[in-house]
Amino acid sequence: MKKNNWLIDRRTCLKGLGAALALPLLESMGWAETPAKGATAWKPPVRLGFMYMPHGVIMDRFWPKDAESFRSAALPPIIASLAPVLDRCLMVKGINGVPIAPFNGGPHALELSTWLTATLPDADRRASIHIGISADQIAANYVGGMTALPSLELATMPQTHKENQEGLNENYYSHCSYRSPTQPVPAEVNPGAVFRRLFQGRDQGPAKNSDAQTLSTDAALDRSLLDLVLGGAKDLRGRLGRADQQKIDEYLDGVRALERRIASIERRQRDGDQAGDARRRDGDSPLIEVAIPDGDVKGRSPEASQFVRRSGDGETEIKRSEYMQVMCDLTVLAFQADITRVSTYIGSTPNGASYPELGFSDQHHSQTHYGTDQVKIDKVAKINTLNVEQFAYMVSKMANLKEGTGTLLDNSIMMWGSGLENGDKHERKNLPFVIAGKGGGTLNTGRFITDTTGNQGDLLGTLLTAAGIPLDRPIGIGTKVLTGMLNG
Amino acid sequence: MSLPVMVLRVVVGVVLTGAVLHASETAAGVPTTREQAQEVFTKQVKPFLETYCSNCHGEKKSKGEFTYRYAIKYAGSPAFRQLWNHAAASVKAADMPPEKEDKQPTAAERKMFSDWIAGMKHLSPKDPGQFVIRRLSKIEYGNTLRDLFGVDPRAAAILPDEVFGAGYSNSLSPLLMEQYLLVANSVLDQVFAKAGQPPTAVEQRIITARPGNGVDERAAAQRIANDLARRAFRRPVSTAELDVLLSAFDLGKKHGRDFRESVRLVVKAVLVSPQFIFITPVSGDEPKSGVVALDDHQLASRLSYFLWATMPDAELMALADQGRLRDPTVLAAQTRRLLSDTRSRALFDGFGAQWLGIDKLAGKTFDPEKFPEMTPALRQSMYDEARLLFDSIVREDRSVRTFVEADYTFADAKLGALFYGMKIDGEGMQRVKLTNANRGGILTMPGVLATTSFPNRTSPVNRGVWVLEHVLGEHVPPAPANVPALEKQDQSKVATLTLRQRTELHRTDPVCNNCHKILDPIGFGLENFDAIGRWRERDESGGAVDASGELPGKQRFSTPQELKKIIAARLDDLCHNLTGRMLAYALCRQLEGYDEIVVDGLVTNIAKDGHRMQNLVVAVVTSYPFMHRRIGDLPGAGNEKK
Repeated sequence: MKKNNWLIDRRTCLKGLGAALALPLLESMGWAETPAKGATAWKPPVRLGFMYMPHGVIMDRFWPKDAESFRSAALPPIIASLAPVLDRCLMVKGINGVPIAPFNGGPHALELSTWLTATLPDADRRASIHIGISADQIAANYVGGMTALPSLELATMPQTHKENQEGLNENYYSHCSYRSPTQPVPAEVNPGAVFRRLFQGRDQGPAKNSDAQTLSTDAALDRSLLDLVLGGAKDLRGRLGRADQQKIDEYLDGVRALERRIASIERRQRDGDQAGDARRRDGDSPLIEVAIPDGDVKGRSPEASQFVRRSGDGETEIKRSEYMQVMCDLTVLAFQADITRVSTYIGSTPNGASYPELGFSDQHHSQTHYGTDQVKIDKVAKINTLNVEQFAYMVSKMANLKEGTGTLLDNSIMMWGSGLENGDKHERKNLPFVIAGKGGGTLNTGRFITDTTGNQGDLLGTLLTAAGIPLDRPIGIGTKVLTGMLNG
Repeated sequence: MSLPVMVLRVVVGVVLTGAVLHASETAAGVPTTREQAQEVFTKQVKPFLETYCSNCHGEKKSKGEFTYRYAIKYAGSPAFRQLWNHAAASVKAADMPPEKEDKQPTAAERKMFSDWIAGMKHLSPKDPGQFVIRRLSKIEYGNTLRDLFGVDPRAAAILPDEVFGAGYSNSLSPLLMEQYLLVANSVLDQVFAKAGQPPTAVEQRIITARPGNGVDERAAAQRIANDLARRAFRRPVSTAELDVLLSAFDLGKKHGRDFRESVRLVVKAVLVSPQFIFITPVSGDEPKSGVVALDDHQLASRLSYFLWATMPDAELMALADQGRLRDPTVLAAQTRRLLSDTRSRALFDGFGAQWLGIDKLAGKTFDPEKFPEMTPALRQSMYDEARLLFDSIVREDRSVRTFVEADYTFADAKLGALFYGMKIDGEGMQRVKLTNANRGGILTMPGVLATTSFPNRTSPVNRGVWVLEHVLGEHVPPAPANVPALEKQDQSKVATLTLRQRTELHRTDPVCNNCHKILDPIGFGLENFDAIGRWRERDESGGAVDASGELPGKQRFSTPQELKKIIAARLDDLCHNLTGRMLAYALCRQLEGYDEIVVDGLVTNIAKDGHRMQNLVVAVVTSYPFMHRRIGDLPGAGNEKK
């Protein structure tokens, strides 16, 4: 029996991750709402964001030639859009993905499911979900209690499966966040729903939404009611078998999260702080305005990747980049208003999004087995470029928002990446990714580290460490912190 | 996902060849009992692996990311089924061991190895599969709210889309919990009129008792809670469960709410309770492990959610209360009753559409320049055509053969004009008799033909794969990574060739030909249908379509009609495939070892009475895994090592 107790104890902070790191990092853990005694200034919290694209990249159009050329004007085309924020970006070559034996295939189910877990699904129980808690959820367990939402999960493709690879549960194909080893976390695909969730129970957000559904009009009463139901659920749990108890545990976890949500609504109702202004300081930029398209993802198929906007005069398909940008905006807004500090955004699942605005309707995956076919290589490179452009759009926006003595981006760690090195051969030895943001000063940015030796678990552990999340064990296959990425 | 056009793994080809050629033969060496399978494994398979495979795929090495070192420990475990199939195919095709190896198995040894894998299912002990309480799916949740409260099932629209059936995730997250509460709030707002307004009809129905005439408020509330919870929990309610609901009423009173407002809190408590969100067993202590029969109420729910995607109706509940539902005659009769009801449309939306792959049609991309016809409305009609055919086969209890050889279909004016050359009068979809035998059935149905196409052209290979996988139930793994596609051909040389001629270029390579000789003829046989399923005589190149072909066993055809006939002759395979898929859907899980033995048995019975569709569904419902559940891990299946 595996024992998985994922609650992280502050006192076991950084055990096994190198004691030398612990001291400077503690300074960055200044999330408390009031400055600690003797502290010189309030320090904004660190936000952690992940954005995913499947199928790898065209390597020679993604990686800079060397450390020098990273800072030069001639960036490789796929990452050219990052030029305005390059001094706050960090690229690292040499991160290995998770080796997939004993699986003999299933590259796409595994690329997504191992991306934030750095853990291989349990091969003996592959038909159901048995993997590891993902890095974003580890972070959410630690910092989630301080915000209205512990974490935010977004996607711009429905998480319905496409195919069963290697007998693996289909949900591995469309989920990267796992709240526990058996519990995939679903993502929201509709911007309107996300917006309503962010501003639940508030009279005014940055953009008013008339039909916002209300979680609770009488928060105190609802919390008492949930307490009663929770008690009943515990009785039920006691009568069930072990596997059933796990299901009830998911339920209990959900109800407790709901109670926290309602408590935060209650607090805000009491304090009269409707827009979350109390979390921001004089001099901080005002909350950004986000135009939310009303509508839905077109069709219900696993490949549906276009958003159809409904308006008075009918339905129009908006550009895929526009759809992706709204989700980026919502991430920025959620971070800026401190509604959550952890966000995961699946730009597309491996099912094969299409990008008609690029001038071709082929699905992403159909082009990735390109061999030496230049036409396909060009198409994949264009898709890669478009995806990084959305990430660049998001982090550039964050770089323009003042917060504390710096910007929102300075106080964030944003990672864009893929779970395969290249989609043609399904290699995973050198995963492509970009980090943006200074992590409140912990990340040594503006550099391209050309030759690290490490794996996906090391990378995730390092990012969480930089965000000040104390880890009492490595993440997945990780063994060490990549100190080269950090300051001091 | 599109398969590269040129190739499928050689080894696959050989498996397919075997299946198509020898589908009706029974191989003499396939183990038929557990003892046999075990004995062959120990005495022959293990030594075979050690002699011929261990250097590259054994304990130390896993060349090509392929090793049997985990599988050999739990040979019968369903987790390694695909690995064994792959190994069998490679060995059978003489693809493995590689030619350069000196040690090569004899033909008899190769046959022993692949025969053993074919009979490996017999290693599985009798087992209904692990059962875990299941959360209602989005669709089920919405329908259940409709049945309980008369609200539009779209009340559940804010829940995330999900896949139902074998791929169901059955997990609950904080997001989902939040959404359940939002839905509950909106349902309550619809059920309970605002203060000062007259009560709604649903409210009057729910309030089954009122205080007065010697009945105090709490007693009335208890009656209401019990009546509602019994239906909402789909089973009798325990005293402890009733107490929780009553304390919700007390909470309201404590907060100064009136009777009605406090009852509203009770309803809210029901809606967010795990007993409503999950299908739970009748209260009582569960055994910690072992196989038990589903209790009557669980069976009623399983049946009702399977066929109707909603809660059991009054008749099912009454039978469950009387403890009669487990009687096979009663269960079969109820199954037929549910199928005849229009609510069984849910079986197509949840199962049939996934089986045919037509659930993808609405979101599929088509080149708008080439196919401006593919509007959402047309796609909906194409979907409805498939739905109505499926429904007619179910409700009229036809042979499953009708799926391939139906001589009727359903069409509205748009479908009639575009696909069938018919003028159809009247509103909506109409049943029409087909005179052109090239049409009719799922192989030549526009919705299906469109689903397997690329955005801008047909894909004969995709169509071939679709027929093999979706109709005949064979497994065609995705193509290997490093294979060139059609577009890579020298454009100057192929410009004047038809798609068929271009695709056939690979047939000159004996390695490719090995497997494409099955896939391609099927796909080419359907080349008279363009990428959205319209009839055509010439393809995009302007060349005449040649829809003739030959399948292994000298089965020749020259039209789609003749191809359909060859496919329809493999009725047992079609029936096996459909039964297996339906069982997986009904159980909400993938099929594993023992299930394969179950399906074999069901198919034998279904064949005895003309492969009729309702018999097939009854067989699934009365099967061992449908009526039983295992609690805890199965000993000896590889799970206990953790």
